[in-house]
Amino acid sequence: MMRATRDYLTFLWRCGRIAFVGDWRYYAWMGGLTVFCLLGLHAYCIQFVHGLIVTGMSDEVSWGVYIANFTFLVGVAAAAVMMVIPVYIYDNEELHDLVIFGELLAVAAIIMCLAFVTVDLGRPDRFWHLIPGIGQLNFPRSMLSWDVIVLNGYLLLNVHICGYLLYSRYQNRKPSKWFYIPFVFVAIVWAVSIHTVTAFLYVGLGGRPFWNSSIVGPRFLASAFSAGPSIIILALQIIRRVTHYHITDKALLTLRSIVQVSMIINVFLLFNEVFKEFYSGLHVASSTYLFLGLDGHHALVPWIWTAVVFNLVSMFLLILPLTRSLKWLDLACVLCIVGIWIEKGMGLVIPGFIPTPLGALIEYTPSLNETLVCLGIWAFGLLCYTIFLRMSVPILQGRLSKANEHLPEPDAAADPATAPVPH
Amino acid sequence: MSSTQKRPSAQSLRRTNWVLGVITVGFLALAAALLASPWKASTQPKIPLVDPSFLEQTAWRKSYSDLVREKADLSDFQCYVCHEKKNPPPLRYDEQHVLIVPDEHSDIKMGHGTHNRNNLCYNCHNENDLLTFSIRDGNELKFEESSRLCGSCHGPNYRDWEAGVHGRMNGYWNHQLGDFKRLDCVNCHNPHAPKIPTRKPAPPPHPLRLPLLPEPQPKAATTS
Amino acid sequence: MGRRNFLRSSAAFAGLGALAASLSPLRELGDYSSVDEFMQKYYKEMTPDDMAKVITRIENDVQRQYGIRPHVRDLKPMDGAEFVYCLNLTRCIGCRKCVHACVNENNQSRNPEIQYIRVLKLPHGSMDIDKADHEYNPESVPEKGFFYMPVQCQQCHNPPCVKVCPVHATWQEKDGITVIDYDWCIGCRYCEAACPYWARRFNFTKPEIPKERLNPNMSYLGNRPRKQGVMEKCHFCIQRTRVGRYPACLEVCPVGARKFGNILDPDSEVSYILREKRIFIQLKEEMGTNPRFFYYFEK
Repeated sequence: MMRATRDYLTFLWRCGRIAFVGDWRYYAWMGGLTVFCLLGLHAYCIQFVHGLIVTGMSDEVSWGVYIANFTFLVGVAAAAVMMVIPVYIYDNEELHDLVIFGELLAVAAIIMCLAFVTVDLGRPDRFWHLIPGIGQLNFPRSMLSWDVIVLNGYLLLNVHICGYLLYSRYQNRKPSKWFYIPFVFVAIVWAVSIHTVTAFLYVGLGGRPFWNSSIVGPRFLASAFSAGPSIIILALQIIRRVTHYHITDKALLTLRSIVQVSMIINVFLLFNEVFKEFYSGLHVASSTYLFLGLDGHHALVPWIWTAVVFNLVSMFLLILPLTRSLKWLDLACVLCIVGIWIEKGMGLVIPGFIPTPLGALIEYTPSLNETLVCLGIWAFGLLCYTIFLRMSVPILQGRLSKANEHLPEPDAAADPATAPVPH
Repeated sequence: MSSTQKRPSAQSLRRTNWVLGVITVGFLALAAALLASPWKASTQPKIPLVDPSFLEQTAWRKSYSDLVREKADLSDFQCYVCHEKKNPPPLRYDEQHVLIVPDEHSDIKMGHGTHNRNNLCYNCHNENDLLTFSIRDGNELKFEESSRLCGSCHGPNYRDWEAGVHGRMNGYWNHQLGDFKRLDCVNCHNPHAPKIPTRKPAPPPHPLRLPLLPEPQPKAATTS
Repeated sequence: MGRRNFLRSSAAFAGLGALAASLSPLRELGDYSSVDEFMQKYYKEMTPDDMAKVITRIENDVQRQYGIRPHVRDLKPMDGAEFVYCLNLTRCIGCRKCVHACVNENNQSRNPEIQYIRVLKLPHGSMDIDKADHEYNPESVPEKGFFYMPVQCQQCHNPPCVKVCPVHATWQEKDGITVIDYDWCIGCRYCEAACPYWARRFNFTKPEIPKERLNPNMSYLGNRPRKQGVMEKCHFCIQRTRVGRYPACLEVCPVGARKFGNILDPDSEVSYILREKRIFIQLKEEMGTNPRFFYYFEK
């Protein structure tokens, strides 16, 4: 028992240590991210002291980019399931050694989600009111309480799965199936649930006809399963470039077909929504504001058309055989990520508030302070993901293991993070 | 790239040192910048306090009972200082058969009902005793009982008023816990011209974020 | 090697310095929250002793901040009372006196401005709220061709705001008033998104109330001054109505358009209106919220 604890602590210590060593590119990247994190933290401190008045939000538009980013990132987190399903249900060989990168991305995305929700709170000091037992969690009536539970649950599931697999690999032991396979299957269902619950957060509001549509849930999943794997495709290519970790083109092309199908469904569902809104002409004010502008207010019009064009171009690129070439695939992925970020973030959250239930038209523009907080959280998420990769890649490559525990730690810059490993 | 060899090149190590140096300086510069607080919370324009007249609860008119209660000057109600008791003043009309209000009463602007139907003094005032009203059943009413006089014509409104539904109530909704005060008809309606005059509205709201463009005025429905 | 270690440590220390500097705005935190306030129990779980302590704390806070000793009470719903509001759209002239009487009575922030009542100006013949003008400011009201509809919390039987609150910080009391525990609200603004009547307001910053306009007659769930970052809304003037008085918006109405009372009492004004008046409507009836606020017409 003592020994096991000691081993585990050594493992954590070594993982922590390696996060601080790397070559010059690693330091430059991490240093840059840290600067953005600190700018964001500073901006958040200003918000904490002066209140949400330093954002662009108002009683009219009471949620803004924080919740928009939150919604997008829940999708990214849920999208890990799109790697887990092929590997654990269809025994896909190519993705088998990569699935953990998807799960780690989910962990980083959930951390960002929780950060975005926290910065959106008016009284973050009262977060403990949400903790069951000492607080008053309104479960199961409030969809937000479901979200608290599913997001934290998903975080724990993924931390457990990743942590267990990495520690097993570190110890050079075959992971016991009982310790993670059940969790993997729970996580599959759970991934769908986190995004469904997030959709229900909006769908459940009868007073907001723009959100009160049963297609929002399916749309969320479709857009998540295109944007999420797109991010993973880009991340895997960066990992391949920087660490020489063995990633085949075939693996990337498997993910491409996932993005392809999801994107087609996503565009189809978006079309359904647009048709229903404009053809029936019922409760169409928010959609009119979003797509065409309303009474001279049209802040979101250029955004949503950019998103529509990006989504369509991305979809056609993905359908064409062209995107079997990675360059084109990268382009399609970037368009898909940006398009969906706009469509799902600003394009879904903001118009729900415009016009207000009493017909007032007040627009929303994020403030500088608010934007810095968002950048800070994104930088923090990337920082976390980089650290996760910095720890997991050497473990998976066998360079960081219990076997070399007693060897002297390599010097920072001399650590062969960039060295190829014979496969 | 030189990464095929196990140890990184000297160039790579030099670059690492260089980057670490830049990061150090960058962090210090950032710290200095943040302490100087480059951006401040935006200051909102001050919103002026609302004029206290908009918080006023008193009725805009005083009834005869109010004046009595306040021991106010009641000389306006002493009709027989000018008029003769046995000699009721005659009513004069113009060509359109519209009542001509005598100069002595020029403060009175008649406007009770449409088509001048009710612009006749003796519809309400008692011709035989100007210090009372004459109600339609022939009985006399004191000035303090003016609301009953109104009720003799405006039945449904009077019924609502008695139920506390027409006109304002003040005080306690729960009559066991405290008193309530019902306003008289004349507290709101000028009996000679009962339509309530228009008034200046209190200032409009100041939204936290101003509309970027002026809001277009809604058009009145053309059918009305 | 030694040089690099030195550089690494100096970068780390510079980073810590920058971290500390980034936290510098917290110096202005002031009276953000006290330990007592942070640890305060949920309203429904407080014993009378707890509540007495909390009330003393609130009274001290208000006195420190405004120099006026308030009278804070925790007023409970009356037995046999359920409140209903009726508003006569034929009478309302859109003068907005109710808006400001409410602000004055309920200690709402003047800067930035928080108002519980929003008066809508609508063209004759239409209940389409998207046509509403919120900012009208003519020389005099009422204007020809328009009618006016004041909207405030509708005190729904099925309040969507209560359903969505993740921490039970808002709930419906047995007299029908939906209240907020301002010391429990976490400020997520989900209720604000859920309300179909746009009745809820958020304290985007520390509210500012001029001393000379502070109303010292306060209640815990009602008009005591709020903190930054919490929700508030119309509560039918709990500090008045739960001791039997009319709400402030009613008492200031120059045309008697506002009627309030106990619907369980057949002799109350509101019972009379719902019995005798032919047309009354609940705003957005199709939402199924079943408001305790009725709009009615006459003649």
